Amino acid sequence: MISLPGEVDGHRVRVGCDVVAIEDVQDSLAAFGDRYLRKVFTASEINDCQGLNRVHRLAARFAAKEAVIKAFAVPDMPFPWREIEVTRDGPLPLLRLSGTLAEQAQDQGWLSSSLSLSHADCHAMAVVLVVCSPGNDGEAGAGGR
Amino acid sequence: MQDQIRDVLAAHGRMAVDPREVDEQADLYELGMTSHASVDVMLALEEAFDIEFPDEVLKKSTFASVRNIEQVVEGLVKAPA
Repeated sequence: MISLPGEVDGHRVRVGCDVVAIEDVQDSLAAFGDRYLRKVFTASEINDCQGLNRVHRLAARFAAKEAVIKAFAVPDMPFPWREIEVTRDGPLPLLRLSGTLAEQAQDQGWLSSSLSLSHADCHAMAVVLVVCSPGNDGEAGAGGR
Repeated sequence: MQDQIRDVLAAHGRMAVDPREVDEQADLYELGMTSHASVDVMLALEEAFDIEFPDEVLKKSTFASVRNIEQVVEGLVKAPA
């Protein structure tokens, strides 16, 4: 039996993932409209999610926010969704953190991240991988629900 | 207040059971409520009680049980505007 450390070249690696039903986001928009959008998404994200696949894009971004929360692996930490923003660099989605979550990421030694989004007709999903500075021994994993 | 909270959960919690009939300490996530459904629950509670959830109470535990929700909502209802 071997124990597999959550490190690559001495750097701790954290992973988070999440999946969201498209129908749930559609229902939230129908029930709460702009209140839902403004509570969860930044103005930039709302602007990025226009057009034919608007609901799918919003769902993928919500999944990304939940994935990031799981990557923090801190039980019961506050999760102000708008402090986690998905931006774009050409075809690549990128993460931008602000406020308390940016501070938390600094405390945990987050150095870089990679984000992947996907969706089908019924669901959207996100996976985030975070590389942390060496020596940070916080819990890592993709826990949560 | 708890009846109103249970009605909100029934309307928006997307749970596998009727939240009007669960123990106040039962784990709502274990009963099928997703993180996304908790957003709807929060927005509906804000409407029902004319409150706003500040960032510091946006935690999993806030929405983990009827009793937890009740405690947070009680605090927000009593808080000065």
